[in-house]
Amino acid sequence: MSEQDVARTGKKRRQSPLGAGTPMCAGCGGLQALHQIYDLVGDKTVFVNAAGCMTLLSIYPFTPFPGSWLYTAMACAPAGAQGVRDALDVLLSKGRIRPEQDQLPVVLTGDGSAYGMGLSATSAAIDRGLDFLYICYDNEGYGNTGHQYSAATPTGARTATSRVDGYSGVKKDLFTIWSAHRPAYVATAIGTEPADLARKVKKALSLRGPRLLLVLAPCPTGWGFEPARMVEIGKLAVRTGIWPLKEYSDGAVQHTMVPSKRVAVEDYLHLQGRFRHLFVPVRNDDKLAALQLQVDDYWSHID
Amino acid sequence: MRKLLTGNSAAAWGARLAEVDYLPVFPITPQTEIIETLAEWVDRSELDARLTTLESEHSMVTAAGAAAATGVRVFTATSSQGLLYAMEMLYNLAGWRTPLVLVNVSRGLSAPITLEPDHNDVLAARDSGFLQLHCATCQEVLDGVLLGYRLAEDMRVRLPVLVNLDGFYLSFTREPVIIPTQDQVRAFLPPFDPGRNRFRGGEPVSQAVAVLGGGTYSYFRYQAHLAALEAKKVFQEISADFKTHFGRAFDAIETYRCEDADILFVMMGSFATKAREAVDRLRDDGRKVGLLRPRLLRPFPSQAFVRLLSGRAGVAVIDQNLSTGLGGVLYTELAAALYPLQRRPVLVSYVGGLGGRDITAGEFYAMVEEVRQAVTTGRVPPPRLLFTESEMQSVRGLQRIAGGKGRDA
Amino acid sequence: MYRIRFHGRGGQGIKTASRILGTALFLEGFEVQDAPRYGAERRGAPIFAYVRADDAPIHERGVIHRPDLVVVADDTLLTITPAQVLEGIASASVVLIYSVRSESWWRQQFPQIGQMVVLRPDRGTGVGLPAGIFCAGAAAALLGTVSREALVKAVEEELAAHDSALVESNRQAVLAAYEAVSVSHGMVHSGVPQPVAKTAAPAWIDVSRDAVDIAAPVIHAGTTSRLVKTGLWRTRRPVIDKEKCRRCLQCCAWCPEGGILVGEDGFPMIDYEHCKGCLVCVAQCPFKAIRAIPEAQAKEERDAQASDRQ
Repeated sequence: MSEQDVARTGKKRRQSPLGAGTPMCAGCGGLQALHQIYDLVGDKTVFVNAAGCMTLLSIYPFTPFPGSWLYTAMACAPAGAQGVRDALDVLLSKGRIRPEQDQLPVVLTGDGSAYGMGLSATSAAIDRGLDFLYICYDNEGYGNTGHQYSAATPTGARTATSRVDGYSGVKKDLFTIWSAHRPAYVATAIGTEPADLARKVKKALSLRGPRLLLVLAPCPTGWGFEPARMVEIGKLAVRTGIWPLKEYSDGAVQHTMVPSKRVAVEDYLHLQGRFRHLFVPVRNDDKLAALQLQVDDYWSHID
Repeated sequence: MRKLLTGNSAAAWGARLAEVDYLPVFPITPQTEIIETLAEWVDRSELDARLTTLESEHSMVTAAGAAAATGVRVFTATSSQGLLYAMEMLYNLAGWRTPLVLVNVSRGLSAPITLEPDHNDVLAARDSGFLQLHCATCQEVLDGVLLGYRLAEDMRVRLPVLVNLDGFYLSFTREPVIIPTQDQVRAFLPPFDPGRNRFRGGEPVSQAVAVLGGGTYSYFRYQAHLAALEAKKVFQEISADFKTHFGRAFDAIETYRCEDADILFVMMGSFATKAREAVDRLRDDGRKVGLLRPRLLRPFPSQAFVRLLSGRAGVAVIDQNLSTGLGGVLYTELAAALYPLQRRPVLVSYVGGLGGRDITAGEFYAMVEEVRQAVTTGRVPPPRLLFTESEMQSVRGLQRIAGGKGRDA
Repeated sequence: MYRIRFHGRGGQGIKTASRILGTALFLEGFEVQDAPRYGAERRGAPIFAYVRADDAPIHERGVIHRPDLVVVADDTLLTITPAQVLEGIASASVVLIYSVRSESWWRQQFPQIGQMVVLRPDRGTGVGLPAGIFCAGAAAALLGTVSREALVKAVEEELAAHDSALVESNRQAVLAAYEAVSVSHGMVHSGVPQPVAKTAAPAWIDVSRDAVDIAAPVIHAGTTSRLVKTGLWRTRRPVIDKEKCRRCLQCCAWCPEGGILVGEDGFPMIDYEHCKGCLVCVAQCPFKAIRAIPEAQAKEERDAQASDRQ
């Protein structure tokens, strides 16, 4: 098949609504998830973006979105969504647009904004009961600036600002922080579990009010693995129990995929350059055991 | 209707008469009365607008811009630290080319933290792309908001407008204000037409998109500049139209008893009315003195200043601001504007009224005397801070209590 | 002044190569300036790097418009963006191409190149190392002003953060490449400054105000990104074997680009204009129906098919 085949034969049956041709890295787990989410949320949306890798989705005059987009700044995408939602409500109530011209504001940020600079704006948007969807693609570091550690970086991961011994902190539990605000819906997800992701997006779309999706985004560039292994690593994040898939609604947290027999954490770690220092030149049994314990401890509290 | 109104209340009336759709707000002294007034009107259904309290001025200005980008008429207000906290988004909104009106109630900037006014807050935004209107009376605050919407929303301009009033001296000061009727205002200010840059389901529009490369960036930034320059011409049309509708002038530069004046004060904001008073007293004394007060600071009315100051003997530029390490901002900008003139007046720079410090009648008279001497001798005195011996004694008294040795370490 | 421009792709060690050459020249006593230049594109996307070296302090900065040496670490760039790679070359400019193809083949393709050196990938030394290190070694030899000692020291300095085995393999690779082009030692000549009289005047224009719907950074259309051919990033391509494909379409779901479409016949079709070559589909296909082949091989196969049809 040649480059021209797709265009020439005209026999394409299904094309992804979100356009190809973006500058995201080859093998980007965040983009893989975004395609699935966009298939469901559709183009009657205004994607309100904060500074991060995906700011570069739209570089003038190129955009992958068949719907709308507004770049704001790193701290304030939820406030941008508030302005869009409020304006559309005013236009609807004053009869200046038709109901079918309404749009859903969708905040799209990385973990740098979601876990840090934008958390205050997110918290307040939930306080106000803003009717919006928030998608965080969590690649566990400030990816767009070369992968320095963020509050989403897991213990032990080497980043551009923790090059020697890895990150000494603990990944912030944003799911619980968001849930504590008692919004309509919060879920963790990952693009490599498409059925679970699709169900959560559909559920979010069926509700009103603040709905937030925290999507782990395996990052070949920042995590140090071959792009071809993106799906394998994403699946291992779930099967090891490192990335619990769960959801919050009506005051209760439910786990949506409980790994029946959890794979050892090190099977996930050893595939990634950011954890390589735990295996070579000498295996760091203490640290590996501690990381396994973190995960075991989490699951010991889950039915 | 003529009524006693505070400057804050006049700002709220301006927004109400402009029939704004959306009010993203956040409290800060001395601006808060504006949003309290508007909130009450919204609650009583006297104003058909949605009011949302954001969690910071940064978010407030973001929501304001996002709503304007969606296609509604937006009003918002802040002051001082709030304006600076939102600064990143001021540049953004101008770059988005979203029209709206933001009222700033000037207040000195921290540190040290204080409540009373000077203009460093609003001047920090002078390069942001927001156009700036500066008011000296409560009437001008109401008028400025209405003019601001016409200017911001004009298709040749499409930039956000900042209307400035001084904290305390206008914000909390009541003066008689003529409140026009809604019909009068509607005749002057048509409903907001967002044009093609707005969000509607079914029409893809991406706004505020990133660019790569200096050429593309230069183009967009310069387009905002060209629109701001165009706003000078548009402002002239609008202010003429305003006079037709309301019978009040709102020229780019107020000229007070300037006809035959050889020495002029140049200053902006509410303290300029003190200069008017001083001009009257000096005229009583037979001195040919006048006042120029820019209402329009961005775009800067350079040509108008050149026209008005050509052939004059001297100017006392009174800056209620301080660009640290340079001096008064208005002085610097005026000097640049007058540079092409063959016969330039002598410019003497004064910095006064920082943090709401009063400027007395005697000081205005003394400035005129210094300028006159500079004109006669050709020796221009260095910039002066308006600060007296008794103020220094007072500070020294405070320092004694605060301790310290008063020696460079 | 030597003006050297490197062309390669993200992940090929182009920045490191330019720094090794810069450091080697610095060790030889030159004034040096080196810098990488990349946009928003990522791994696999074309990038440039610059090295300047002179006896006197260097005042030039940024993009090199008139290179004395162009180093092409990825030969596919010559076929996709020759205008950028060969921009500003003169008859005295040397173009170094890292390629399995012969010099005569390249000369046929690009007769406008005055002086050309082709560096063939070494089958013995430094297998698996990115192209950049070989290009750095060959470029140093072509300049003729960098000794083996300075070159090795530069490798050691630039790779100081890495383990000794990696440094050693790079040391061998850089020297192998240095030797491989020894017949062309000193072929690159230091360029002379462009005289004022020969410099074109800028075609300045007075920019006028445009209507706001185009004067703001707004896009009034959807999915315009499809015009961007990210397929150019690819060095290896996934190829679907319809004999083995069971049309499960998992590859469509896994593709991060949304770059695998479904044809009328129900088979997946790879959108090669946009496929970045991440090869997730190859790794995930449950029926091993997708294989990865180098782009060069794909081009050969296409050329062969074309000649068959004639």
